Amino acid sequence: MFKSTTDVIDCLSEQDYIATKEIGTVLFLAERLNKPVLAEGPAGVGKTELAKAWSAASGRELIRLQCYEGLDETKALYEWEYAKQMLYTQLLRDKLQTLLSDSQSLAQAADRLAAEEDVFFSQRFLLARPLLKAITSEKPVTLLIDEIDRTDAEFEAFLLEVLSDFQVSVPEIGTIKAKTQPLVLLTSNNTRELSEALKRRCVYLFIDYPTFEAELKIVRLKVPNLAPELAKQAVELVQKLRRLDLKKNPSVSETIDWAKALVLLNAKTIDKETLENTLTILLKHEADVQRARTSMQREEQQQRRRPLDLDDGTFSGNIKPIKRI
Amino acid sequence: MEDRIVQFIAGLRAAGVRVSLAESQDAAQATLHIGITDRAMFKSALSATLIKEKKDVPIFEKLFPLYFNMGVPPLIPVGGQFTPEQQALLRAAMRALIGELSDLVQRLMAGKQLSREEMERLAKMIRSDRSNRPEDIPRLTRQMLQKMGMGDLMEQIETLLQQLAEMGMTREALDQIRQELEANAQNLERQVNQFLGQSLADRLTEQPPQKGDPDLMDRHFGSLSESEIKELRHEVARLAARLRSRIALRQKKGDGKFFDAKTTMRANIRHGGVPFEMHWKKKRLKPKFALICDMSESMRDVIEFMLRLMYELHDQVSRARSFGFYDHLEDVTDEFSSNRPDEAIAYVKRRFPYRPYGTDLGFCLADFFHTYMDAIDHRTTVIFLGDGRNNYNDPRLDLVQDLTRRARKVVWFNPESNHEWGSGDSDMLKYQPLVSAVHQVSNLRQLAEAVDKLFS
Repeated sequence: MFKSTTDVIDCLSEQDYIATKEIGTVLFLAERLNKPVLAEGPAGVGKTELAKAWSAASGRELIRLQCYEGLDETKALYEWEYAKQMLYTQLLRDKLQTLLSDSQSLAQAADRLAAEEDVFFSQRFLLARPLLKAITSEKPVTLLIDEIDRTDAEFEAFLLEVLSDFQVSVPEIGTIKAKTQPLVLLTSNNTRELSEALKRRCVYLFIDYPTFEAELKIVRLKVPNLAPELAKQAVELVQKLRRLDLKKNPSVSETIDWAKALVLLNAKTIDKETLENTLTILLKHEADVQRARTSMQREEQQQRRRPLDLDDGTFSGNIKPIKRI
Repeated sequence: MEDRIVQFIAGLRAAGVRVSLAESQDAAQATLHIGITDRAMFKSALSATLIKEKKDVPIFEKLFPLYFNMGVPPLIPVGGQFTPEQQALLRAAMRALIGELSDLVQRLMAGKQLSREEMERLAKMIRSDRSNRPEDIPRLTRQMLQKMGMGDLMEQIETLLQQLAEMGMTREALDQIRQELEANAQNLERQVNQFLGQSLADRLTEQPPQKGDPDLMDRHFGSLSESEIKELRHEVARLAARLRSRIALRQKKGDGKFFDAKTTMRANIRHGGVPFEMHWKKKRLKPKFALICDMSESMRDVIEFMLRLMYELHDQVSRARSFGFYDHLEDVTDEFSSNRPDEAIAYVKRRFPYRPYGTDLGFCLADFFHTYMDAIDHRTTVIFLGDGRNNYNDPRLDLVQDLTRRARKVVWFNPESNHEWGSGDSDMLKYQPLVSAVHQVSNLRQLAEAVDKLFS
């Protein structure tokens, strides 16, 4: 149990994750109120990293469920291992023969077999998927449900059921209750509206692109070999790129990759050539690369066209100075 | 404190944020855990438990300072730390200027706070209850202070200080007095500000929840400003995601009627041929479209959003061909299939220069029949995107009839509202009985519904 928000932030920074005060508060609250955390934000700002850092900081194992379109109960909760059941049936065929040899009728044989049913539908043949693993785990765990906005409404309703009681009923075995309460973190890229019921159940955290100082701190932490001056220039450039109207803004992970690339290329400054060669690490769409290039060219032209210095009477150009009357 | 939180939630609800009972309980519990000493953490705690949607964040930011203000330091009497001689000097100076110094200066010197009744009286004088917006508070504060005489404050302070200087007060003492007076003036301003904020908050709580501005999606395309159009463009991707899930759900429900032996056998090889997993035939034929758009000026916005939606859904479409018409018809598939609708429309507009009374659908249809009939087959859905106004030219209903026989379906998207169909030169009512469906698409919601029906 974390003692306070500052405790959370300190433990997270021990795991090399720079958390804002807001993140610390929300995680602290989620643990105290026993509610899942719904982290929304653009891609690449560190939501999955947050889950990893949080689980490491609280000493729990991380169980990850990656969501996708078409994810259903069998892949998320549990599945019966048919092949194993069949294998056992085949291998135990002789034993079955002897067991059923003295039964008089078919009904008796079926009853005898039914008595042995729980051999074949037991935990032994139950393939536990992430959700069931989280529920049946002996030690406390952290459950990360990644990109929940890629699933459909059916799965959300099913998930809501599981998250509210933390118990699963398998028809053949019975109800399995969770021994320890896992910490749950859901991430979403906001590509679609999540259901109201799910949102009400969670504590909400919106993670946006970091500020200049925060991003600089992250780059200095993750890429220590990069010269401080160069790191500052790099982060400034990325912040500037985010202000353009791009199809996909460069995320924090891309900034870190770019910083690592600069170290590898032994760059001393970020001149035009280095930028040209490495721009595709930051921007992953051709249209965005073009737009960034035009915007940088325009800036260069503006800088070259120095403002007219009228005071000393000299100017070169064909714009007439306005006479002050 | 709990009362304040309850009032805050009532204020949020009045502003249109949907806060449920469970969430309000969470907020109360969160306050217990976090405490109220650190304002930023308290704010984060409330925001995490009450605000679950990004669009509610600005409302939260606006209302939070109204309800939870930090205490304002009180006014202190000036010269409290002076020696008795200096204080006597001060009193003498005040007496000397008794007629000239305003009420405000005397109050600031004495460190007298404004009582609640006084502030209410002043607020009534400037009629502050007429405005319900937090943005007006700075202006109202200034007005209230003007009423109290803030305008002449500087002059009067100078007069007082001059008098004191003449009477022999030291330089440092004078500076001290000036500093304390200014601090008092600032605190007074803050008190007034806070009072106005709280009375606004109380008014908001008592108001019934107002119906917010109509959603952007329901506003007519022509009535949107540039920034609103930009917002809607971002919405299109989410709209397409919603449509896609609806399409997928519809297809899932429609599946499962016929057993698919091939897929079942292939899937059950690992089970030794015993059919543990059953697979059913999935009928997944993607539709083909032919889009015939009217290229006149009024259709710009509708066409832009239609193109964006179509581009987002292009993975659900087998083949889409686009034609633009005005006074003649042209195939614009290449320009429209890229993802820059604004450039596409600009480029196409150059090919269709404006001519007064130019629109002639009948003539263009004849052209279409002559040249592009290969785009239509029995699987194609033809979409007409236009207002049906032909400038009294021949509507060529016979050609439209032929089209309905050849294509799978012919639908019409008309951005005009229902009661305008058939008025003036509009041939809409003549076309209506011939085509399968006519949809009104004057805002984004209607456009999305119409596109959704295309895929059913």
